[in-house]
Amino acid sequence: MDLSPFEANNSFSCRLASQIPDVCRTEDCCLGVDEAGRGPVLGPMVYGICFCPVSKKEELKDLKVADSKTLTEAEREDLFQKLDEAKSYVGWALQILSPNTISTSMLQRTKYNLNALSHDTAIGLIQYALDSGVQLKEVYVDTVGPADKYEDKLSQRFPGIKVTVRPKADSLFPIVSAASICAKVARDRVVKGWNFAEDLGDVDTEYGSGYPNDPKTKTWLLKYLDPVFGYPQFVRFSWSTAQTLMDSKAVTVHWEDDDEDGEKAAQRKNNRSMLSYFSASTEGNDHNATHQTHRFFTERRLKSLDAL
Amino acid sequence: MSCNTSVTHLNVSSVDKAQQTPVHLMPCEIEHNGPAKVSQYFAATMKDHKHETTVSFRGRGLKGQELSCPQGYTGLVLKEVNKPGSDQEDRTVKVSSVFNKLTYWNLETPPNSDDTVVMAMDWPELAEAIHGPVEE
Repeated sequence: MDLSPFEANNSFSCRLASQIPDVCRTEDCCLGVDEAGRGPVLGPMVYGICFCPVSKKEELKDLKVADSKTLTEAEREDLFQKLDEAKSYVGWALQILSPNTISTSMLQRTKYNLNALSHDTAIGLIQYALDSGVQLKEVYVDTVGPADKYEDKLSQRFPGIKVTVRPKADSLFPIVSAASICAKVARDRVVKGWNFAEDLGDVDTEYGSGYPNDPKTKTWLLKYLDPVFGYPQFVRFSWSTAQTLMDSKAVTVHWEDDDEDGEKAAQRKNNRSMLSYFSASTEGNDHNATHQTHRFFTERRLKSLDAL
Repeated sequence: MSCNTSVTHLNVSSVDKAQQTPVHLMPCEIEHNGPAKVSQYFAATMKDHKHETTVSFRGRGLKGQELSCPQGYTGLVLKEVNKPGSDQEDRTVKVSSVFNKLTYWNLETPPNSDDTVVMAMDWPELAEAIHGPVEE
């Protein structure tokens, strides 16, 4: 697994794939989809697919692939090695969603939530397999959300393919276990060797599991909080853990699409709050001023300055 | 608005000594007035990709464009040397750095010629036409 295309630019999302086994282009195939690193506040989320001919399902079972979460890191590396040795009939592809992609998607003006992002990524990978000529007949997907709706969505999107969406599919179907191993191995390697684009010198890599409740992760998040920029791109800004820490320890940032209300926000936005109509102020006089600014200036937000 | 009689002095002699520094115009208001690790966090993560300059700030995607100062103008970053105790006292500002171009950033939307700051740069030329001396 060569992660260098992602590591060269870990701000964006990246697809990595094995060679497509020839046999997968001629024989009916099954494909598994799983993800790794959905919950952590640190690092990427990795989506993985693994595929092989339906006739090779038993051989895959004999490799003893199991749910990646029940395995140690060493065991996963070992199993990935075995999958690689079976490359004459097993293929895989990964989509690495960088933490920056996750942050900017979830915090987009028109919100793009993690479920939608996950579904689109899974669909993109299945389509990649089809586009590469893999003769897909069966697709097995692990899900955290409601399985039925997702299954309907995928069945409609890929007519002619039998789609099975199940919670814990990674422990039910070896091809999903295989996908989960590929995804988890990639996520572990990427997190371990994270290449900080920021110029932070030697960064403490004791960031623990990346899960918000891990004390090591918490300590790291406190240590690497910058009052202005918040965090390096390694952190998912859209996670409430990161937001809460920035709210209490970093300076406040206002965006034009913020949902702010109240007296203070109105003042800041130069609007008049309802309350201002009840206070005895003289600021209303400005409106009667004889001088009205031409729209040339208001459109360009140009104002004459009389004080610094 | 206060009607004070204080005068603000600009110490122009500091212009020549001032260094060129990169300037970024952000599409948000940051409640902070002071130093920030711009080169470490921001400049280091700017990306030029498919004719687009992108960066993110606080997890939000920005798209940027370089913009030159109008011909014959220099941008100044001013710093107040000693803040006066009352608004009656005169104030002195010095030039802490100068710039001939800046990078302005939009929240998610690609920069275009209708952006306020781009259009604002029309004013000096127009002002010259309206207020400049009339040549015989």
